[in-house]
Amino acid sequence: MLRVEGITVKFGGLTAANRVEFQVRPGEIFSVIGPNGAGKTTVFNAITGIYPPCEGRICFLDKEPKAKLTWRAVTGFLLVGLLSGFFVLLGINAENIWYEAITSKYQYQQSFDWSQSAQSFLSYITQSSAASTRYPFLGGVLLGVLGAFTVWSRGRISPDIVTRTGIARTFQNIRLFKGMSVIENVLVGMERRLKSSLLTAIFRLPSFQNEERAARQKALEILDLMGLKECADRQAGELAYGDQRRLEIARALASDPKLILLDEPAAGMNPSESVELMELIRKIRDRGLAVVLIEHHMNLVMEVSDRIVVLDYGNKIAEGTPVEIKANQRVVEAYLGKGE
Amino acid sequence: MNFLGRKAWVLMVALVVALPFLELLVPREYRVADMFRPIFIFAILGLGLNIVTGYTGLLNLGVAAFMAIGAYSFAILSCEIYPFQLGFWISLLGSLIIAGGAGLLIGLPTLRVHGDYLAIVTMGFGEIVQDVLKNLEGITKGTQGINPLPAPVFLGYTFTAENYVPWYYLFLAILALVVMLSRNLERSRIGRNWIAIREDELAACCMGINTPRAKLLAFAAGAGLCGLAGALWAGYLGSSGEPGNYDFTVSVMALCIVIVGGMGNIAGVLLGAVVMIGFNSVLLVRISDFMARHGLSSTTNVFSQPNNWKYLIFGLALVLMMRFRPEGLLPSSQVKLELHHKDE
Repeated sequence: MLRVEGITVKFGGLTAANRVEFQVRPGEIFSVIGPNGAGKTTVFNAITGIYPPCEGRICFLDKEPKAKLTWRAVTGFLLVGLLSGFFVLLGINAENIWYEAITSKYQYQQSFDWSQSAQSFLSYITQSSAASTRYPFLGGVLLGVLGAFTVWSRGRISPDIVTRTGIARTFQNIRLFKGMSVIENVLVGMERRLKSSLLTAIFRLPSFQNEERAARQKALEILDLMGLKECADRQAGELAYGDQRRLEIARALASDPKLILLDEPAAGMNPSESVELMELIRKIRDRGLAVVLIEHHMNLVMEVSDRIVVLDYGNKIAEGTPVEIKANQRVVEAYLGKGE
Repeated sequence: MNFLGRKAWVLMVALVVALPFLELLVPREYRVADMFRPIFIFAILGLGLNIVTGYTGLLNLGVAAFMAIGAYSFAILSCEIYPFQLGFWISLLGSLIIAGGAGLLIGLPTLRVHGDYLAIVTMGFGEIVQDVLKNLEGITKGTQGINPLPAPVFLGYTFTAENYVPWYYLFLAILALVVMLSRNLERSRIGRNWIAIREDELAACCMGINTPRAKLLAFAAGAGLCGLAGALWAGYLGSSGEPGNYDFTVSVMALCIVIVGGMGNIAGVLLGAVVMIGFNSVLLVRISDFMARHGLSSTTNVFSQPNNWKYLIFGLALVLMMRFRPEGLLPSSQVKLELHHKDE
């Protein structure tokens, strides 16, 4: 389902992840463990497009999650190009163009012939020296197209596109929208399913209202699953710590993902809360999602995971079932140090 | 909106609707007309800025530029010395669209710029627009301004400069429309996305929000409203005014309205407009008049004129405000929480 193919992420001289590779199968709970600073969160960030990897690639459902070069995008580049060409032209001789097209053809309170004005404009463009009209225009077009293409291609792998392909995540340090209500947080998470446009929203047209009502319904269902239905209208920042963690998961689930990445969901929870959380993670898995988990509570990880990958200093040192990992000499060394 | 907010909202509407009847009570020399116009214009301006700064959290110091673009495009589209002559209403709509386009244009290259840097870019944009309007004399008539502009005709009735009551209702209706529009946006998917971006841009992006597009939309919508404010202003005056009218102080005033009133809250912005413009364009003028009439101020002594104290008082008020109530007079519950989280 998810294939991480030899990704390397570097920050300056520091290699945070070095040719890490693993595969996540549909419907399994897959854990990424390792000592602090082993590069677990970096791998998550690479998968979700926050730091595109320097080498290697991510494949999700046999495709790389990045923006496709569609005809719409190409039209966009051309449009930006034309616009910038036009602006360069205006920047050089706006007043002359205006004079040729408008002022010279218009007498106060007389009728105005648009076709004549357009002709005059065209003849000005074609007859005055190329250096003052056509070259700057073409230059502007070129610059605009290239600029638009560069910006587009640099933003091809970006978290929103990854999310839209069906990968959702939570954060290690809770990143809820604290000022918004609990249900609004979930609604923001639903962005992938909502389609209402600016105009339908401004005028609250029926299509918009229907969509909104259905979305709220769905959001309440998700909150119910996470046991947060009672506090739907409270502010997210007011919730207890454990509830905030669960709200993050609810928000991630709202996008209806096929794969969910949980970054230390049990951090700061007491033992009974984390046992509940593990139950919850199983429930999510039973809904047909694959779960990738980063976690430090070893007994929980061993209990819940189907398979585990172990990272240390950015390198993958082991992969296998919990039983195999427990018996692996290198893993024990990485956690406890080498015996003298 | 919480209970207090709604109460303030009702109060404001009542006040605003009652205003023309004040004319019956208030002597004529107090010129009610001069009071409502700037308040309404700046309320629309504040609501426009509120979309960009209040909801989306992008500090914009170039509001006056969009206002100028709105006013000038309104003038060019409607004035008789140009061939377009689209009439009042279509020109109003046209200026909104043109100003919105200008917002997109300034938004595109500044997408990756945040906070203070964006403020500086937009501030520069404000200055550039002023200078461009001043120097393109062949098109904009330079510092003369474009006039005369046609008066609106509504159901066969032609608005006149002498009778301000129809103008008052026109402004009120448009303000109400803008309030409705802002409110609907705020409570839709689009508004939620804006607020999410303000609260945590990375998390918002990870939720599948196309953040560049959402920001551009905010820029365009905000700029469109500011352009509308400019066009209305020009329409009432019958002239685009000179480019110098749309200087930095206008932008700062709009920002003050949003900050003092309460970021991200419509009722707050309206209150902010009443307080700030009420002070600036109504109260100060009255005090000056009063002092001049009773010989308390002289033209030679600059200290004796209240107008010269204006920015001192503004500055002091802002400093006190930031110290004691940084979330504004009527904050949105979200901003309040955000600011108090930072205190911890």
